[in-house]
Amino acid sequence: MISIQQIQFTYPDGPFSLEIPQLAVETAESVAIVGPSGSGKTTLLNIVAGILTVRQGTVQVGGTTVTQLNDSARRLFRLQNIGLVFQDFQLLDYLDVRNNVLLPCRIHPKVRLTTALRQRADELLTAVGLMPLASRSVTRLSQGERQRVALCRALLLSPQVVLADEPTGNLDPVNAQKIVELLLSEAKRSNATLMMVTHDHTLLSRFDRVIPFEQFLRRTTPAQETVR
Amino acid sequence: MRHAFFLAVHSLWWNRGRSLTIILSLAITIWLPVTVRLALRQFQQEISARAASTPLIVGARGSRIDLVLHALYFESVPPAEVSMKDLEQTTESGLAIGIPLHIRYRSQSAPGLDGAPIVGTSLEYFEFRGLRPAEGALPALLGECVVGSEYARLAGLKVGDSVLSAPRNALNLAGDYPLKMQITGILEPTQSPDDKAIFTDVQTAWVIDGIGHGHQEVSKNTDPALLLQREDENGNRKDSKTFTANAGVLPFTEITDANRDSFHFHGEPGDFPLTAIIVVPETEKARVQILGRFQSSDSEAQCIKPPDVIDELMSMVFRIEQLVWACSVAALVVTLLLLGLVLNLSLRLRAAEMQTMFRLGCSRGTIWMLQTAEILVLLACASLLALTGSWLTVTLGSDAIRTLLY
Repeated sequence: MISIQQIQFTYPDGPFSLEIPQLAVETAESVAIVGPSGSGKTTLLNIVAGILTVRQGTVQVGGTTVTQLNDSARRLFRLQNIGLVFQDFQLLDYLDVRNNVLLPCRIHPKVRLTTALRQRADELLTAVGLMPLASRSVTRLSQGERQRVALCRALLLSPQVVLADEPTGNLDPVNAQKIVELLLSEAKRSNATLMMVTHDHTLLSRFDRVIPFEQFLRRTTPAQETVR
Repeated sequence: MRHAFFLAVHSLWWNRGRSLTIILSLAITIWLPVTVRLALRQFQQEISARAASTPLIVGARGSRIDLVLHALYFESVPPAEVSMKDLEQTTESGLAIGIPLHIRYRSQSAPGLDGAPIVGTSLEYFEFRGLRPAEGALPALLGECVVGSEYARLAGLKVGDSVLSAPRNALNLAGDYPLKMQITGILEPTQSPDDKAIFTDVQTAWVIDGIGHGHQEVSKNTDPALLLQREDENGNRKDSKTFTANAGVLPFTEITDANRDSFHFHGEPGDFPLTAIIVVPETEKARVQILGRFQSSDSEAQCIKPPDVIDELMSMVFRIEQLVWACSVAALVVTLLLLGLVLNLSLRLRAAEMQTMFRLGCSRGTIWMLQTAEILVLLACASLLALTGSWLTVTLGSDAIRTLLY
């Protein structure tokens, strides 16, 4: 589960501060976060992932207090426990589909690329219907296919939490529906908690809970917190 | 590190145009000094080996380097000469064997082929250099010659053919006439200047030089129009036994069995010229004695040790090599700076990729390893290309390198 207590965050030169007194998401729960642009939704995902740090408050993910980890430990924790899906996919153009999925195994010395992980990558690609394209360059895929590759990459190491930042933002409605279905079903299959930021209100009914984000926003500029 | 190389190789391949440009730039920068070093080493080995196998050289005083290059590589013609007397003085003491060299003439050029130096020497030269005929035999008679393997191949010569000497000055009507020499043998290849030379007896070389010649017999029956004067022992012109022929009596330009006996030399044999003498001392002590004799005497000849002279020459060559190295280092620095600039710009272009890796949880070390791996792959490819190129250049261009020598 994800547990957030009394956190405050301000970008050094940002026009707002984010204050969250308390927020909890249960294991395997799917949560949609909605709110206007600039309300801090992406910032929240980055704080949960340990990409941004706060000076006050605590963030726990699956029993680990992320806010107490040092930079190196946070990176490893993020890699092993949090799957990230971005709006713009963020795939590496020079790798083919399979190797993009396997990327998390190639970027940290403590995560080894095993035969089991290769099999898992193939299983995930099969599940999202991309196995026939496994050796194809990602530059030759459609937007929807790219996001499916990014989804497989996020799920490769069986994370406790999947954080998706507007994953349907660049997709047409049909593909958006498919991606959300995949996200929900694969997260459920992996027993992972899903937090997804979205502006698409037609998708909200698919989630266990919806969190409106305006409540956490404060339009002030106190330089209280720092970034990573 | 394995994964860093995996990602680096894929990234470089994806940007192969940029990668190839960097690799080629680096390879050329590495190739130049390495090739110069290898070529000079080969040059040094070849030039030193021939010098080391030649104990002493006697020649006219003057440039020591010119004399060594003349005696070893048949280069240029020395402005002054030594004589047979010097050869006899060197050998009569029994301290050494003297091998005469008379190299003033070349064979006539053909279209696209320069004439080869005609080396007038003795049979000892063939034994000294280990030269054996691949076909035919060594020259035994006046007017015969053997041809080095490379020149025979280039000129398409074989045993039984003939070669013509080229006059040194075509405008001198009273000068030397070309001599047609019969080829009795083709030498085995030795990868040395001997492969591109024509060897004949020193007496044949003197014939080419005009010191010896053959012509029709001049007697009281000779057409008076060909005679300049006739005198007896007392200087009387009538019924004399001595005849002076005029220029109308032409010398033979080919030595055949029929006219060989008519060939004769004018002058004192001890004064006949040699352009150099290879001296092979019997012992180390003899070598020192011969050197001492030439150093202390008022002789117009000098005796030199070829290895010492070649060392002097190589020291000059290596100074040039240092200059090449300095230029290459400067070029390498510039190339590395450009490489740094290209990689820096490349990293800026790839900032989003690095950001993705960071967000996924990539360790700082992996980011550094990725960049290091790319540089290492580029350097390794460039080095491999440069070293292969250097090896091919030196191997395939060994003949060209020898052309620098002879």
